Amino acid sequence: MGILFTRMFSSVFGNKEARILVLGLDNAGKTTILYRLQMGEVVSTIPTIGFNVETVQYNNIKFQVWDLGGQTSIRPYWRCYFPNTQAVIYVVDSSDTDRIGVAKEEFHAILEEDELKGAVVLIFANKQDLPGALDDAAVTEALELHKIKSRQWAIFKTCAVKGEGLFEGLDWLSNTLKSGSG
Amino acid sequence: MSGLWSYMFSKTEFHVLILGIDKAGKTTFLEKLKTIYSISEGLPHDRIVPTVGLNIGRIEVSNAKIVFWDLGGQPGLRSIWEKYYEEAHALIYLIDAACPTRFEDSKSALEKALRHEDLQGAPLLILANKQDLPNAVSAEELDRYLDLKKLDERVYMFEAVSGYDGRGIKESIEWLVGVMERSKRTETLRARAGYTPVPNS
Repeated sequence: MGILFTRMFSSVFGNKEARILVLGLDNAGKTTILYRLQMGEVVSTIPTIGFNVETVQYNNIKFQVWDLGGQTSIRPYWRCYFPNTQAVIYVVDSSDTDRIGVAKEEFHAILEEDELKGAVVLIFANKQDLPGALDDAAVTEALELHKIKSRQWAIFKTCAVKGEGLFEGLDWLSNTLKSGSG
Repeated sequence: MSGLWSYMFSKTEFHVLILGIDKAGKTTFLEKLKTIYSISEGLPHDRIVPTVGLNIGRIEVSNAKIVFWDLGGQPGLRSIWEKYYEEAHALIYLIDAACPTRFEDSKSALEKALRHEDLQGAPLLILANKQDLPNAVSAEELDRYLDLKKLDERVYMFEAVSGYDGRGIKESIEWLVGVMERSKRTETLRARAGYTPVPNS
């Protein structure tokens, strides 16, 4: 009863909870993004083995953000976290043109997953401050985002260390999740 | 038999592309569509941000299911439009009718799309949007201004709408469903997807 009441209460006041996975290759900037969103500052990070999870409250939505380690050897464990996910934030190091092909392969493999069928996809073309970084149109092309036809997606140019683009992305995410279309 | 049964009684699913240059009002139009045709309320217009990707809307009208693809219209993002042409049954092209300074940009982006072979035979609905604004030109004026050549072969219509207050939208969609149901392109797409009914089975 207590839970039911809490749910009714939060639905009346528009507080929603959403489970978000932050995925991407190693060194894409996932952990920096997570803590930039959560604390508003840049923390020094080490490669994530396992995961970091934090709650970010934004636009009346409580985002439970899971940042999963991106190294090749631990990517197979991503799928353990797929159930009940409303959105995936896929982070790309836009300056790492050598590995953008790998980033594309991993990305489309994720989209194939049954348990993520209903999840909306937000792409962060990160590290825009680095020389030679591809812009949003180029990353769109490289990741072949046009192959996505049955779910909503958006791409934002970001620079996690300066905090640019991140909240624009969350704005999109909260709008999309609120309008309830996946 | 069951194949034929489901062929005859399942609702046809149409894919409709919503294109137009940035600020034409594509996403506001899509959200209004959702509000008009589905139980769920679309986003209020003041919460709509420029699209940098793909928005999707699904509605049901009479016996048809329609999936709308609303793609971002900023110059850098227009390169992905053509990737969606092949699977589209029809094209809705929005123009901000209250902003004549950008008609030329609108016209050239539309002409470019229409030249693409993947859109061959796709019915075209051109919408003179933002009719709620006092200086918006009418559908006829826009038609005259755009002066599109080579449309003779294509089924098309101009309509005045407002994604803000919703005027003109129902008429537009009714027309679109009608022409899509009769269009050759629909047959072609259906055949390609493997839904061809087997005679006498």
